[in-house]
Amino acid sequence: MAEKKTVLVRIKRQLAPDQKPYWEEFELTWRPFMNVIILLRDIAERPVTREGKVTTPVAFDANCLEEVCGACAMRINGKARQACSALVDQLEQPIRLEPLTKFPVVRDLFVDRSRMFENLKRMKAWVPIDGTYHLGEGPRIAPEVQQRAYPLSRCITCGNCLEVCPQVNERSDFVGAAIINQVRLFNLHPTGAMHKRERLDAVMGPGGVHDCANAQNCVKACPKGIPLVESISEVNRDAIRQAIFGWLFG
Amino acid sequence: MRQPKIIVVGGGLAGLMATIKVAEAGVPVELFSIVPVRRSHSVCAQGGINAAKNTKGEGDSTWKHFDDTIYGGDFLANQPLVKAMCEAAPAIIDLLDRMGVPFNRTPEGLLDFRRFGGTLYHRTAFAGATTGQQMLYALDEQVRRFEAEGKVRKYEGWTFLSAVLDEQGICRGICAMDLKSMQVRTFPADAAIFCTGGIGAIFGRSTNSVVCTGSAQSALFQQGVHYANGEFIQVHPTAIPGEDKFRLMSESARGEGGRVWVPRQPGDPRPPKSIPENERFYFLEEWYPKYGNLVPRDVAVRAIHKVVFELKLGVEGQPAVYLDVSHLPRELLDRKLEGILEIYEKFLGVDPREQPMKVFPAMHYTMGGLWIDDENQATNVPGIYAAGECDYHYHGANRLGANSLVSCIFGGMLAGPAAVRYARNLERGADAVPASVFEREQRRQEEINERLLRQEGNENPIAIWKEMGQWMTEHVTVVRYNKNLERTDQKLQELLERYRRINLSDRTKWSNQTLNFARELYNMLILARVITLGALRRNESRGAHYKPEFPERDDQNWLKTTRAIYDCGNIRFEYDPVDVSLIPPRPRRYDVK
Amino acid sequence: MTASGTSTSHREYFWRKLHSFTGIFPIGAFLAEHFWSNSYALVSVEKYNEVSRGLQTIPWRVPLEALLIWLPILFHGGYGVYLWWKGKSNVLDYPWMANWMYTLQRWTGLVAFVFIGWHVYTERFLTQGKSTYADVERALSDPLYFWLYIVGIVATSFHLGNGIWNFLCKWGIATSARAQRGAAWFGALVGVTFTAVGLAIVLGVRFDWKPFEFYTLPRQ
Repeated sequence: MAEKKTVLVRIKRQLAPDQKPYWEEFELTWRPFMNVIILLRDIAERPVTREGKVTTPVAFDANCLEEVCGACAMRINGKARQACSALVDQLEQPIRLEPLTKFPVVRDLFVDRSRMFENLKRMKAWVPIDGTYHLGEGPRIAPEVQQRAYPLSRCITCGNCLEVCPQVNERSDFVGAAIINQVRLFNLHPTGAMHKRERLDAVMGPGGVHDCANAQNCVKACPKGIPLVESISEVNRDAIRQAIFGWLFG
Repeated sequence: MRQPKIIVVGGGLAGLMATIKVAEAGVPVELFSIVPVRRSHSVCAQGGINAAKNTKGEGDSTWKHFDDTIYGGDFLANQPLVKAMCEAAPAIIDLLDRMGVPFNRTPEGLLDFRRFGGTLYHRTAFAGATTGQQMLYALDEQVRRFEAEGKVRKYEGWTFLSAVLDEQGICRGICAMDLKSMQVRTFPADAAIFCTGGIGAIFGRSTNSVVCTGSAQSALFQQGVHYANGEFIQVHPTAIPGEDKFRLMSESARGEGGRVWVPRQPGDPRPPKSIPENERFYFLEEWYPKYGNLVPRDVAVRAIHKVVFELKLGVEGQPAVYLDVSHLPRELLDRKLEGILEIYEKFLGVDPREQPMKVFPAMHYTMGGLWIDDENQATNVPGIYAAGECDYHYHGANRLGANSLVSCIFGGMLAGPAAVRYARNLERGADAVPASVFEREQRRQEEINERLLRQEGNENPIAIWKEMGQWMTEHVTVVRYNKNLERTDQKLQELLERYRRINLSDRTKWSNQTLNFARELYNMLILARVITLGALRRNESRGAHYKPEFPERDDQNWLKTTRAIYDCGNIRFEYDPVDVSLIPPRPRRYDVK
Repeated sequence: MTASGTSTSHREYFWRKLHSFTGIFPIGAFLAEHFWSNSYALVSVEKYNEVSRGLQTIPWRVPLEALLIWLPILFHGGYGVYLWWKGKSNVLDYPWMANWMYTLQRWTGLVAFVFIGWHVYTERFLTQGKSTYADVERALSDPLYFWLYIVGIVATSFHLGNGIWNFLCKWGIATSARAQRGAAWFGALVGVTFTAVGLAIVLGVRFDWKPFEFYTLPRQ
C-alpha cells in the first residue's frame, strides 16, 4: 500500500471566553473529498495533538454541512468562510483554523453571533402581516421582482460579511452588510414596503447604513454571492431621500 | 383568569408555526432550540411545498392531492387528518406568500408550480431550489416580530433533556440544558409542543443536519410517549455521498426535467457526455412509463438498488447513477435550481450544467415519529404535543416529495391552538405543581451528566455512533431481511452495553459538546432499537419498508399503525387499525400505464 | 433630521452625511478653484501675482474664508480623524482592490489634513494673507518643503478622487455594480487630473517652468 498522506492543521483554541487562546497542531490521515468538518470530526474521535499530547475535541458550530444554515463560519487560513465547503485539497497546509474575530468566542471555534439576530429585530426585518388566519392570496409580484428579491433572501446569517468588514470592530457598532441587505429585501416586498419608512428610520440610527465606508469586502466574502454592495447603495439612496424629504417637508 | 404558558421545543418550520399560533392567541411562549432557529434543518428543504391550487388548468384538486398522498404512502396513514392537511394546503401557500416567501412567479405575477414525485400534476410551489430556507426565514421573521413585542422568549443554544411529569403523569414543563454553561434547568409550562424534527444521525450519515438526532423524541419515548411507525424510514434516491453527510439533490431536479440513467454497458469507462443516447439506460422512464423519473421515492430507490446491485450497472462499477440536467437550458437551471446545482459544484468541483451528477440513495426522512391523536397533535401524555417530522401522522409508509413542508406547517397550526385550549382548560396549572416535581427531574438529569463526566472506561462515543450508523444503514434502510434485523438489534444491545463504559475525552464544564453528544447517543441507540424491532415485526412490504421475504403488502395482517411503548426498560409493541374510511386501499402500482 | 414620530437617534447619520458632503462641497470645489488659480503660476509670475492679489482682496474675505474653507476643512478633517480611528483596516488579510482604496482613503485623509494645516499656516497666516509668487518659490526651494508638497498634493488628490467615488456609492447615486464601476472611473479621472495639475504647479514654480507663458507674448 502506498504511504498514507497526512493533513497538517493548526487550530486556535480557547477553553472559555475569559481564558487565553493557544494553538494546537494536529496531523491527520488524508481522505478524498475531505473538508474542514471531517478534519474536526476526526480530531474529536481521537483528540491527540501532533506532539502526542491528549487534548479535548475542538468545539465548533455546524449544522447542515451544505452551506445553507450558516453555522460553520470560521477563519480558515486567515479567510472567513464556511468550514463545510472548505475542501482540504484546495487549502494550503498547515491549515490554520481560527474563530471569527468580530464575535465573542464561546469556546475554540464556536462564536456567539446573536448580535446579528438582535440587529434584525432592530431593523424590523419582517413583513408585518395582520395574522395567520385566512386573508386570501398574497400580492401579485412580477417575476422580475421575485428574481431580484430571491438572491437577497438567500442570506444565511453566517457573519462572514461582518468578519471581513473593517468598519465592524470593537470601536464601532456597525450592523454590517447582511442586516442592511435585509432592509432592502423587505422594502422590496409590496407589503413590506408599506413599512419602509420605519425600516429606513432604523437603518439611519446608530450603527446604521452610514457606517459603511465602501471597502466592499462583504460582497467578496459572501458565500451566497449576494449583491451586498448594491443593497447597501440602494438603502443609502432610499435613506438619503427619506432624510432630505423628511427634513424639508416632514 | 390564570394566564397559561406554553413551551415549544424545536425552531424549524413546525415549531415556528406553532409558536406563531400560540403567540397570536395571546399566550406567552418559550421557544427552545439547539441552534439559532434560523439555522434549523428545515433550511435544507429544497424542492418545494405541495398545494393543489390548480393554476395550470390541469384539473388538480385537493382530493387528488389527498389521494396521491394516501396512495403514495401505501395506505398506512390515518386518512381524515391527511385530507384536512391537503385541504388546508392552498391557504397555507397563501399565508406563506403573504409573509414574503419569494416563491417563483409566472409572467402574470401568480405563483408558479412545478412537478414533483408521485403525482402527475404541477402542484409544488417553490422558491428557487431553497424553498425550505425561504419558508423558515419567513416564519423566523414573524417569530422575531413577536419576540420584539415581548410575546415570545427564545432559548437558543439550549437542548431539551426531558419532560417534567407530575405524579399523575401530566407534563408540567421541561428540563433543558444550556449548551454554553452546561447548566441544567427546569422550565414550568402548562403544555409543551415538540417539533424536534428528523433522526438522521441514527443512520450515521444521512441528508439530515447535525442536530437531527431524534434525541428529544427518544427521551420522550423513554418517559412514556408512544412512538409510531418507527420502521418507516425514507431513503432519498438522489444524494451526493460524502464522508460527513449525504448532500441532497432535490427531486425538483427531476421535476424540472432531469433524467436518471446509467450506461447500458456495465462499468463503461467513457465520460458520460460521450455515451450516445441509445447506450444509456433510462431505467425509471423504461420501467415506469407513466411517472417516469417522478415515481415516489421508495420506488425510485428500489429501482436504483436493482440497477446497481442486481444488474451491476452502477456508474464506473461504483454504487452511483447519473442524475442528468445537462440537457436543460442554462437559464432555466439558474432560475429554478441554482441552489442545489451550486451545492454540487462547490462540493465536487464539477458543474452539473455541463456534466451529469453522480448520485446515490441516502437516508432522508422518518415517516414514523411520536404518536399523536387524530385531531389535536396530542400525544398520549397529557400536555405533550408533537408536530413536524417528529410526529408520525401524515405520510403513511412513504412520504411524497414536497409534502413534508405542508405537514410541518399544518401540524404546527393544529398543535399551537390545541395546546392553548388544553392549557386554558387545565384545572390546575404548572404554577400549582410542587417545586419538588421540578427539582427531582433536574436532579435526575444532573446526575446523568455527573456520571458521564466521572466515569472511566474504554469506549469512544463517536466509534459507537459510527458502528450504529453502519449497521442501521446497511440493514434497516432499503432492503430488510429478518435475520439481519435480528442481528442489528443484537448489535444495538451490545452497543448499549458498551455505552455504559464510554469515556468522555472532554470533562470540562463549559460548552462541552462531547458530553452533549454522549447524552444524545444513548437516546439514538434506544430509538434505533425501536426502528429495528418495528421493522423486524412487520412481515410485509409497504412503502419504504421492503422485505424481499415478504414482497407483498399484507392489508389483512398489517394495515396497522405500529405503536412502540417503553415499559420499564423494555420496548413493547401494540398495533392500531388504520383509519381508511375515505379512500379504500387499492394495489399500489406505478409501473402500469 | 429625525423622521417624525420616532425615537431613533439620527445624529450620527447627520454628521456622517455632512462629513461626506463637505468633502465634495465646499472642500472639493475649493480645491478645484485653488488648483485653477494657482495654475496661473504656469503662465507667468506677473499673472500669478495679479490673480492672487485679486483673490486676496475680495470683500468679506475673512468671513468667507472661515465659512467656506476653514470651518469645513476643520470639521471634515477633525471628524475624519475620528472615523479613521473607528475603522480597522484588514487589507493584509483581504488584499482586494476596494479594500486597498478604503485603507488608502483613511491614510491619505490624515496626510492631507496635516499637509493642509501646515500649508494654510505657512502660506495664509505667516504671510498675513498676502502671499506672493516669491514666497511660494522660496518655500519650494527647500527640498523638504518641495517633497512635502508633492506628497501632500498626491494624497489630497487621491483622497478627493476616491472620495467622489465613495460619495457616489454612499449617497446611492451609483447603485448597481456597473454604475459603481463607472463612478470609480470617474473618481480615478478626477484623482489623476488633480494630481497632474497639482504636480505641474509645484514643478512649474520649483523649476521656473512656464509652459503657458507664450499666451502673454504679443502676436507676431
